[in-house]
Amino acid sequence: MVDINKLREIAAEVISRDDVRELIGYRPGTYGFRARPAFVTGPEEVDRLIFTPACVNNLATYITLEEKLPVPRGQEPDTRKVAVMVKGCDSRALVQQMEEKAYGRDQVVVLGIPCTGVVDMARVEARFPGVLELGEIALEGGKFVLSFDGKVEEVPKDELLADKCARCRYPTPLVYDQLLDDEVARFADDDYSDIEALEKRSMEDKWGYWEEKFSRCIRCYSCRNVCPMCYCEDCVLDRINPTWMRRSVDISENTAFHIARAYHLAGRCIQCGECQRVCPAKIPLMELNRKFYKDVGELYDYEPGTNVEAAPLLATFSVEDREDFIL
Amino acid sequence: MKNPYIPYQVNILEAWYETPGDRCIKTFKVTFADEKVWDTWKQLPGQCAMVGIPGVGESMFCISSSPTEEGYLRFSIMKMGKNTTALHELEAGDSFYVRGPLGNSFPVEEWKGKNVFTIGGGIGQAPLRPVVEYIRANRGDFGELELIYGARTSEDHCFKAEFEEIAQCGECECHLAIDVEEEKWPHFVGFVPTLLMEVAPSPENAIAVTCGPPIMIKFVLQNLEKLGFAPDQVYTTLENRMKCGIGKCGRCNVGHLYVCKDGPVFSYAQLKDIPEAFA
Amino acid sequence: MAVKKLSKEKIGEALKELSKFRLIAPARSDEVVIFKEIADPEEAYLDYGNSTVPPKKVVFPQTETLFRFMVGNPELEEKNVEEEGTTVIFGLRPCDARAMAIVEKLFSWDYDDPYFLKRRELTTLVGMACVEPPSVNCFCPSVGGGPFGKEGLDLLLTDMGDYYLVQSLTDKGKKLEETLASQLEDAAGGDEKKAEGMAAEAEGKIRRSIKTEGIPEKLPGLWENDLWKKVSAACLGCGICTFLCPTCHCFDIQDEVEELGDGRRCRMWDSCMFSEYSLHASGHNPRPTRRERTRNRISHKYSYYPSRFDVIACVGCGRCINLCPVNIDILDILEQVVDA
Repeated sequence: MVDINKLREIAAEVISRDDVRELIGYRPGTYGFRARPAFVTGPEEVDRLIFTPACVNNLATYITLEEKLPVPRGQEPDTRKVAVMVKGCDSRALVQQMEEKAYGRDQVVVLGIPCTGVVDMARVEARFPGVLELGEIALEGGKFVLSFDGKVEEVPKDELLADKCARCRYPTPLVYDQLLDDEVARFADDDYSDIEALEKRSMEDKWGYWEEKFSRCIRCYSCRNVCPMCYCEDCVLDRINPTWMRRSVDISENTAFHIARAYHLAGRCIQCGECQRVCPAKIPLMELNRKFYKDVGELYDYEPGTNVEAAPLLATFSVEDREDFIL
Repeated sequence: MKNPYIPYQVNILEAWYETPGDRCIKTFKVTFADEKVWDTWKQLPGQCAMVGIPGVGESMFCISSSPTEEGYLRFSIMKMGKNTTALHELEAGDSFYVRGPLGNSFPVEEWKGKNVFTIGGGIGQAPLRPVVEYIRANRGDFGELELIYGARTSEDHCFKAEFEEIAQCGECECHLAIDVEEEKWPHFVGFVPTLLMEVAPSPENAIAVTCGPPIMIKFVLQNLEKLGFAPDQVYTTLENRMKCGIGKCGRCNVGHLYVCKDGPVFSYAQLKDIPEAFA
Repeated sequence: MAVKKLSKEKIGEALKELSKFRLIAPARSDEVVIFKEIADPEEAYLDYGNSTVPPKKVVFPQTETLFRFMVGNPELEEKNVEEEGTTVIFGLRPCDARAMAIVEKLFSWDYDDPYFLKRRELTTLVGMACVEPPSVNCFCPSVGGGPFGKEGLDLLLTDMGDYYLVQSLTDKGKKLEETLASQLEDAAGGDEKKAEGMAAEAEGKIRRSIKTEGIPEKLPGLWENDLWKKVSAACLGCGICTFLCPTCHCFDIQDEVEELGDGRRCRMWDSCMFSEYSLHASGHNPRPTRRERTRNRISHKYSYYPSRFDVIACVGCGRCINLCPVNIDILDILEQVVDA
């Protein structure tokens, strides 16, 4: 369990440094059990920082999300670093971003949080509906302990645990400047049994399955925007000149969007599962991304987001490659 | 009521380039394919139209002709993106589509009896042209008419032939400028706001109308203030990305004002307390 | 004329009767509640909180054709909305109906938007009162609505236990009652009074609120306030809040052409939170970051729209709060506006 006072102390130290302009962490949400991102610019603000199983957001996405505005004439660009708190899965996003040279290692201060799992907030809200006053979630002795509305409820971990955590292989951050707790050993693996079951279904079956899901897609692009690996300044799916993807929303364009995005993430998706979490239409996007992950692992023996020095899989050409041309 | 999303077809009578280069400006003189449209087309100087090609798209442009120029509309369009590039491919005999007239207009009725100064830069002269032509067609109703117009180079001036004609006509004064010295340029060299201070129009019974690049407008407004023009004596046009042109799609707002409906013509009095107007 | 009631046993029959029109009702797709056209009354899922995507999509589809054309042919074929026929939306919440009435003001401002208005004319709205608030984040009374609100509806159903009280509110509502004459019975004398009591109770169960008085006038003065940077820092710039908002109505217009040259000009929902929303062809963007776009969105709903149409463009349905992935909360923002 993260010692909250230690976390705040370290945060205060980091944000007080001259070379750090902002610290991204978590703070309590605005209702119920929710937590939300915190953007701290001074040590006086660290008291609101928390870390609990409600801290589901992948904060690594903000490193590449923040707009880079042109510097006004006469002003120097702000080259100070950004500090960010990351769980194991989130840290892989940083690793992959750095592997792709999105920015240099020296531009971020990483506060790693070895993670024992976060909740699936939809399950929490279904289990305990109608909670408005801020409640708290903790993990104690293999159980989630929820304190709300004057009561305390204990629930077995596996009943509220996010699916991605049940198969997490990297609970301890893979990159960090400081670790805010003791390392957590790997406690699960992804056996891909559900993916294999999906693979075995007939084409007709699979198409019916995905058609139902993609028909619900409203092209809000939340999956793309939340994804730490989707950081192209000029996304191909937004282009009008030429129009690679129509802005009209129908099963054809929706399917093209999701398949195109899954391909753009092949060998890059670090399995944080945020896309699926944020989707208002509850499309099981991770099924697509895990299928690609499994295939990439089998075909190329490669795992994105594990080694900053690695060469990005599908962006690297080697003379030994099977194909006789780079395309 | 006619469906406001359905455009009219227009045929191009003449088309010619005003300026060269990557962002060249082309003028189209067009008339409605269906003559009967003229009966219901009531346009005032400053109004705009959505101009486009089905299959490509539509963009909003000011109607660069005055209603006193009968039988045709003029648009002067700078090549910038997808729609304008497709429009530039068209020549006399081709067609495109037009929706309008949209937006509000310069309050030319209120300006009768006053002196009118137009201050334009580059393509900004296109929305000022209908004011100039309207006043010239109703010359007796207005006081002085004085034009200040600048562009980066002499090649970048729009309506070159018309300006020559205006300079000779004797009904109005004309001051031209270019940013940088050029051989054989007989007129002012420098920025439009500077030329404005040299011309130093009197605010007495006067209206100033300005249109051009945002940076030029910023300094022109400052200088007009220095010269003693009150905010309600100064007019400009704003632009923004537009799609519907009729105040429905939401995107063109500047503060609470929709540029396509409350504008594009605004007095400085309306804009000076809206921070988004000069973003 | 007596107020009617519809026994719950007869709901299936009633829906069957209504399915001779284009009948839209809440239904389930996996565990997601959506409004869709149903042919089989069994599909209707009336015991629901609220849908993810509001029923605004029925009168204002996410994508719709404005006109069709053939490249090279000057004729434009206007889309005729009448072909869609009479539509009944059965079981929508009062907030969603009120939202349509609010948006209608814009769609009939000076220029009539024929697509929206014709659909609105052809659609009968049968509302379901909120005996329980669908969400902890509902706040409809703060913005002029209520759990038993009638604005925008043609009929209002109230769940009285074994039956629904059916109150007709407009001529369209009366007409629909006539269609359902075989399924409806006269309600008991005291039912309307009872429903009023239930309405007050329901309003009491709504736990979140904001004092909106003064907010429309205050917002323009807060233009440079640093609250906008703070509240937008976590924003992902996605379209969830706008697409799920029953009063959001911004749209894009695009032309699409197929290989053989037949094409259409269509419009589709757009979001002021997307970065390209106000991007000029020149590359200039007057709202370049999430800060400007968030400020614009809140100002539009709580200041610009009321300054023109005398009504705040928000019905307090809470969807944006529930579904924002980063818990940006409009009530939290408005509290900061009030305190600023």
